[in-house]
Amino acid sequence: MSIALRGVRKTYGRTTALDGLELEVHEGEFFCLLGPSGAGKTTTLKTVAGLEQPDSGTVELDGTDMTGVEPYDRGVAMCFESYALYPHRSAYDNLASPLRSPRHRLPAAEARDRIGAIAELLGISGLLDRPVGQLSNGQRQRIALGRVLVRPARAFLLDEPLSHLDAKLRQSMRAELKAIGAVQHTTTLYVTHDSVEALALGDRIGVIRDGRIVQTGTREEIWYRPYDTEVARAFGRPRINLLPGTITEGGGFRSADGGGAPWSRGAKTSGEVELPLGAEASPGTDVLVGVRPRDLALEREGHGTDGRRPVLTGTVYVTEVLGRAVEVTVRLGGQHVSLVAPRAEATHLRPDDPVRLTVRPENLLLFEADRPERPGRRIETSTR
Amino acid sequence: MTRKSRLSEREPGSKPWLGWLADTALILYFVFALFPVAWMLILSLKPADQLFSTYFSFTPTLDSYRTVLGDSEGIPFVRFFVNSLVVSLGAVALSLVVGLPAAYASARWRFKGSENLMFTLLSFRFAPELTVIIPLFVLYQKLGLFDTYVGMVWVLQLVTLPLIVWIMRSYFADLTPELEQAALLDGYTRKQAFFRVALPLVKPGIAAVSLLAFIFAWNNFVFPLILTSSRAQTVTVGALSFLGGDRPKYNLTAAAALVSVVPPLLLALTIQRYLVRGLSFGAVKS
Amino acid sequence: MTSLTETDHGAASREEGARQVRAVPRWRRGLRPYLLIVPALLLTGGILYPFGLGLYYTLFDFSASKPRPDMVGFENYRTVFTQEAFWNSAWVTVLYAVGAAAVETVLGVAVALLLHRSSRVGRVLEKILILPLMIAPVIAAIIWKLMLQPSVGVINHLLTPFGLGGVQWTDTPTGALLSSIAVDVWVYTPFVAILALAGLRSLPTSPFEAAAVDGAHWWYTFRRLTLPMLWPYVLVAVIFRFMDSLKVFDIIYALTEGGPGDSTVVLQIRAYLEAIRFQRYSFGISYTIVLWAVVYLAAMVLVRYLGRLQNRAAEVSK
Repeated sequence: MSIALRGVRKTYGRTTALDGLELEVHEGEFFCLLGPSGAGKTTTLKTVAGLEQPDSGTVELDGTDMTGVEPYDRGVAMCFESYALYPHRSAYDNLASPLRSPRHRLPAAEARDRIGAIAELLGISGLLDRPVGQLSNGQRQRIALGRVLVRPARAFLLDEPLSHLDAKLRQSMRAELKAIGAVQHTTTLYVTHDSVEALALGDRIGVIRDGRIVQTGTREEIWYRPYDTEVARAFGRPRINLLPGTITEGGGFRSADGGGAPWSRGAKTSGEVELPLGAEASPGTDVLVGVRPRDLALEREGHGTDGRRPVLTGTVYVTEVLGRAVEVTVRLGGQHVSLVAPRAEATHLRPDDPVRLTVRPENLLLFEADRPERPGRRIETSTR
Repeated sequence: MTRKSRLSEREPGSKPWLGWLADTALILYFVFALFPVAWMLILSLKPADQLFSTYFSFTPTLDSYRTVLGDSEGIPFVRFFVNSLVVSLGAVALSLVVGLPAAYASARWRFKGSENLMFTLLSFRFAPELTVIIPLFVLYQKLGLFDTYVGMVWVLQLVTLPLIVWIMRSYFADLTPELEQAALLDGYTRKQAFFRVALPLVKPGIAAVSLLAFIFAWNNFVFPLILTSSRAQTVTVGALSFLGGDRPKYNLTAAAALVSVVPPLLLALTIQRYLVRGLSFGAVKS
Repeated sequence: MTSLTETDHGAASREEGARQVRAVPRWRRGLRPYLLIVPALLLTGGILYPFGLGLYYTLFDFSASKPRPDMVGFENYRTVFTQEAFWNSAWVTVLYAVGAAAVETVLGVAVALLLHRSSRVGRVLEKILILPLMIAPVIAAIIWKLMLQPSVGVINHLLTPFGLGGVQWTDTPTGALLSSIAVDVWVYTPFVAILALAGLRSLPTSPFEAAAVDGAHWWYTFRRLTLPMLWPYVLVAVIFRFMDSLKVFDIIYALTEGGPGDSTVVLQIRAYLEAIRFQRYSFGISYTIVLWAVVYLAAMVLVRYLGRLQNRAAEVSK
C-alpha cells in the first residue's frame, strides 16, 4: 500500500502538531520518519491510521482519499510507543485481540497456530500465559509488535517500537525486524528519534521538524547531501564538525579566525586557510564548512603532503577511546574539531601534540551560517 | 539501661510519651465517633419497661426488632425498607445507563455541550434541594407522580447522576485513549472498543461509585419527606415516625435506626479504597 | 517460519485489498459525542425544568389557598429581604455553616495527622473511620436526640458524676445550635479526615527528608511543609463541608425542628416551613433561590481560592 499525506495540518488548541505536512511512502517501502520529540511523528502516524482527523489536507492510501474512513477500515496496523497493551488481559489475549475482531477473525485453532508462530519469531513463546502487568518493558514492546504482525495488514505503522529496549536487545531486534517476511514485503512507516536506527532500517528516510518534512531521501542522500546544518548534525556520532568562515572571491572558503588562523594549505604553515569549493554563493557570505569526524584523517609523519588535499594543522586537545577507534579532539585556533582515527594511529597522541589533518575535498559540506530563525541550508559546491 | 540504648529504640527526635498521647487522643475521638452507635444498640436491646429505669444494666431482648420488623405500631417499616431498596437501586441503575456514556464522552472529547453539562451537574451537587423539590411537589401532584417509585427515582437523579458522571469521567480520563485506539486498529468498532476495552478497565470504579451513589440515595431524607406519604416512603423518613405519636418509643426508634443503617454500612466497608475519589467528586485521587 | 509469515501475509493482503472503503461524513463524526450525552442532557433537563418552574413561581403569589396566582413581580424577594425572620435565618445558617466547617476542619485534620503516624492503634481505628459518615444524617440526628434527652438521655447520665447533670441540650437557643453543630461534626469529621489523610499520603517525601537532614524542628516542618502542601486537599473538603452545611436540613429537622423558638431555623428549614407547612409555595421557593445564590457565590470565591492555592502548593513541593 502506498501512503501519501498532502498538506496535512493538525492543531491541538494553540499548538500546531502538523504544519502542512507532505509525505509519500511507496508500496513495499520501509520508510523511517526521524525527528526530535514534539516534531509531530506520532501525530503523523495517528493521522495515517485514522485515529486523528486532519484539520486540512488529506491522507491517501493507495491513491484513495481516506477522509472519514474509520481506522478499522484502513487496513493498517499500528504499534504504539506506549505499547497500548490491554492491561486486563494476558499476553496471549493481547496477541489474539486482532484475530478475534470482526474485521480479522480467524477460527480459534488457526489463530492459535498463527500466534504461536509470531511468538516464536519474537522470542516471547514463554510469556504468553502471563498478564501483561508482569512483563518487563522489553517484553511488552515485543508483545505490542507481535499484535501488529499477527494480523493481515497492508501497511505497518511503528511508533518507536524499539525505543524501550536496552542497547543490546535493540541492536538484535533491529536486525530481526527487517528480516521478518511480513515487514520485508509490506509498506512500513517507522518512527524514531534515533538516527542510527533510521540509517540502519530505512529504505528512505524523512526528517521531520516542527510538523513539516525537512528532507526525504535515501540514507546516502541524507548523509551526503543534508538539507541543512540540523539534518547534518542529526546523523553521525561524533557529530559533524562545523567551522565558521566566509566565502572568498573565487567561491572558496576562508576560515573565520582572522590573523594567526591555524588553517594552512599545502606549503603554508600559518595564516588563513582557503579551501577551493566552487561555492554557489556570493563572496562575503557567512558560511559553515562541515566535515564528518570519519572523513578527517591524521596525516602520517614522513609522508609528503598530497598537494590536492587541504591540510589543517592544530594541536591535540583530548583523546577518547571508542573501542577499536579513537576519537581525537583537535584544537584549531579557536575551534575544536573531532575526528575518528584507527586506534593504532592515535594511541601515541598526547594533549598539545601538534597534528596535521587531511580531508578529501569531496567530503567537505558547505552551509549558510545558522540564523536565529532557521538552521543554515546547504550550498552547492563544485567539489563534489 | 543506659541512655544511649533507650535512644536507639525509637526514631530520632520523637518522645515515647508523645506516641501514647497521640494514641490516647485518637481513642478519645473514636469513642466520640462510636459511642452513639453502641448506645443505639444498647437502647434497641432494652425491654420497654426498663427503658427509663436503667442505663447500662438490663435484660437484653429482641422485642424492639420484632415490633419494628413485625409492622406493629401501625408503621410498615419492612415496606419502607423495600421502598428504600427499590428507589435507590432504580436511581443508581438509571444514572449508570445515562451517566456512563456522558462521562465517557466528556472524558474523551472536549466540547461545549459536555462542559456545560458537567457544570450543571456539579451545581446540582451544591443546590439547595428544596429549590427543586417544592416545584416538584406541586408538579408531582398534577402528574400523579407524588408518592410513587418513578417520582422518587427521577428526583434522586439529583443525587446520583452528578456523582456518577463526575467520578466516572475522572476514571475514564485516567485511561489512556491509546488503548481504545489500539482496539480500533485491531479491527473493532468504536462501540466494541468501549465495551471490550474501556469499560472493563473502569469496572472497579463503576462498582465503587455505584455503591456510593446507592448509599447516598438510601440516606436521602428530604426527597421522600416531601414527595412521598406512605406508599413510596423510605426508611429514613420511616425511622423518624417512631419518634412521633403520644409517647416516644425510644427503643423502637433505636432499633429502626440501626436496621436502616445496616445496608449503607455494609456496603461502605467494601469500597474503602475508592472512597476518597468518590467523596471529593474526583477532585482528589488516591 | 519466515516463509509462513510471507505466504499468509500475501493472502491477507489480497483479502484486504478487496474490501470496500466506507467513509463517514464529517458531520456524523462530529455528532458522535453528542449522541452519547443526549440521555444525560434529557435527564438533566428533567431536573432543570422544576428548577426553572420554581424560578417562574417566585414571580407569583402561588399558594395552596390561591391556586390561581397573580403575577407579583419581585414582591416575594422584597418580602424575603425585609422580613426579620429571613435575616435571623441567614444569621443562624452562617453561624451553623462556619461553626460546623471550622470544627470539622480542625478535628478532621488532627485525626488525619494522628492516623498518618500509623501506630498500631491507628491502623485498627482507621478501618472504622467512615462509620458515622455512612449513617444517614437524619438517623444520626435521631440517635443524638435520644442521647441528649435532658431527663433520660445517656449524655446527662454520664455527666452527672461530674456535677453537670440536667443540661437542657436542645431546649435552649445556644444549646440547640451547638447540639446541631455537634451532630454535623459527628457525621462529617470523617469526611475531612479521609480527604486530609489521602493528601498526607500523597505528599512528596523528598522535602521532608531534606528537612530531617537539616535537623528542622517538627513545628517548623509542620508549618512550612506539611500544612502548605496539605492545604489544597483540606480546602477541597472545607469547600464541600461549608457549602453543604449552608443548606443543612436533615439534622436540624430531626433534632430541633428549628426550635426552640426560631433559634435553629436555618434557611432550608424556613423554606420548608413556608412552602410545605404553610403551603405558600412561591414565597418558600424565593427563600431557596436566595440560598442558592449565596451557595453559588460562596462556591465561586472558594473555588477560585482553591485554584490559587493549588498553584502555590505545586511550587512548594518542587
